[in-house]
Amino acid sequence: MHDASSRPPLPGHLRWLAALAFVLTLVAAGWRLPDRNTTPAFALPPLAASPAAGLISQGMLPGVGSSAASPSLARLADGRVAIAWRSAATAARQQDAIWFSVFEHGAWRQPFPVSSTEEAAGSLFAHVRQLSEPVLFQHGSALHLWFAVSGAGGRSIVHTRSDDDGESWQGLARVAASPLANTDLRLRHPPLAMTDGSLGLPLSQTWLGGHGEWLRLDAAGKVLEKSRMPTASAALDPAVIAIDARQALALLRHPQQAGLQLARSDSAGEHWQGAPAIDLGGSPSALLRLPSGRLLLAGNAGQGRGTLAVWIGSADGSAWQAPRIIETAADARAEFSEPSLAIDGDGRIHLAYAWRGEGIRHLVFGEAWLDGGQP
Amino acid sequence: MNALSAYGLLAHGLIFGALASLLPLGMLRPKAALTATAIALIAGIAPIMHAVFGTPSVTLLVLAVLHLPTRPLAPLGYRGALGLLVFAALFYPAALGWGSFDPYALGYRPLLLLCLLALAGGFLWWRRHYLWLTILAVDLAAYASGVFNNLWDVLFDPLLVLLAAAIVGRHHLLAFIAARRR
Repeated sequence: MHDASSRPPLPGHLRWLAALAFVLTLVAAGWRLPDRNTTPAFALPPLAASPAAGLISQGMLPGVGSSAASPSLARLADGRVAIAWRSAATAARQQDAIWFSVFEHGAWRQPFPVSSTEEAAGSLFAHVRQLSEPVLFQHGSALHLWFAVSGAGGRSIVHTRSDDDGESWQGLARVAASPLANTDLRLRHPPLAMTDGSLGLPLSQTWLGGHGEWLRLDAAGKVLEKSRMPTASAALDPAVIAIDARQALALLRHPQQAGLQLARSDSAGEHWQGAPAIDLGGSPSALLRLPSGRLLLAGNAGQGRGTLAVWIGSADGSAWQAPRIIETAADARAEFSEPSLAIDGDGRIHLAYAWRGEGIRHLVFGEAWLDGGQP
Repeated sequence: MNALSAYGLLAHGLIFGALASLLPLGMLRPKAALTATAIALIAGIAPIMHAVFGTPSVTLLVLAVLHLPTRPLAPLGYRGALGLLVFAALFYPAALGWGSFDPYALGYRPLLLLCLLALAGGFLWWRRHYLWLTILAVDLAAYASGVFNNLWDVLFDPLLVLLAAAIVGRHHLLAFIAARRR
């Protein structure tokens, strides 16, 4: 190693040049600092009246690839519902892809891939081996899509957006959410919209047991600030719902045990406090506010993934009803998992979930169906 | 493609070239570094480094560039490397979830960090570490460009910490060998 101190001293004007450059760039960096506005409130979407209907439709999504999983539903600006999901490579020469489709006139449009492993690697200039966990969300005129890319070493979250309801997508950009590029960040649930056009995105960090995190992103998907969700024990996959303009409730699951960890915020996500855990007898994961104002959770009831159920909760999440079973089976291949919920412009509720590792099942129903009748 | 991805790829190519320039090749060292940079970019080494280590910090890139000329500069000495290691040992566990304080979050609205950097710049000027003052100026210029989202990502990264660990380890290894020869 060469030692800088062994070199001849710099001429005087170069010393002053270094100092001048430092001061100027310090001022420029200060100029670039984000505005120190107070944290915006949650933008609460208007609740459309739900049709007085039961189960409206059910079916499988158009098959693509040999394995489809991790569906993510989102309501578009015009009230239609879109979906993104992952198809995994199951043979040589295949590659993972994130697929996209829109539900209109009672049927899904022909799906098309938003990104594949090769396209993601080309866009990020990095080695990418796997794509997973898409999360779709419409905010204003932009349709946002996040998903996880895994390559040599670990996994990170990337973002893209579409300004034409998913017809075309911008290039991918990594979400700078961690000082280690390949920490195991997990993204499972959609963000909340904020009144200033930014987004609050819940995700979890699986290191050191796991904990929930809250990112506030600008409209372009860049991180503006970050806060941590304290819970009594390790917790993953926060699903967040706004109670009012400033209050929010986050439901997180324990990595190994049953029950849900809770965190609450009274500052529109800027700070979070732990709350007493609850046990609903399963591991619910998708969260939605119903047209009546009540909360709807979807996930696996009991042990394993053989039973998919929904739970209805009070508007503030303080009380929950017994689960309603959506689908259950006892055979060895029974797996109904990774549910996603959305509500369309007509107040109809959409539920999509991975079905037996073969495809994605999609149900459309009115809120009345949740309160009575048989599946 | 975005600017940060392109930066990450090119920077890793240069860092690989700087690593190659550590080989004892005498006068051929700069040419070996140039060849290694080209190979890293063409043969897919840089994308793998990009995937494993993430986007390199500007500090690491500048240190790599300073190491490429015929007469290389290596301003990161033993004491600086040891200081960086101690800081990283506190920073990374806290940023990854140990405790309730997340120091990485400070980098998104880095007014406090900029104040601390102003003090650090004054210290470097007082101690006549003009090269480090210039490196910090390049870091701040990179942050001001808007390409980076978090000021910490400009200042240091895991690969730079590994480099610091190698410098500290080498120092102690040489000291150990010297002690054995006495």
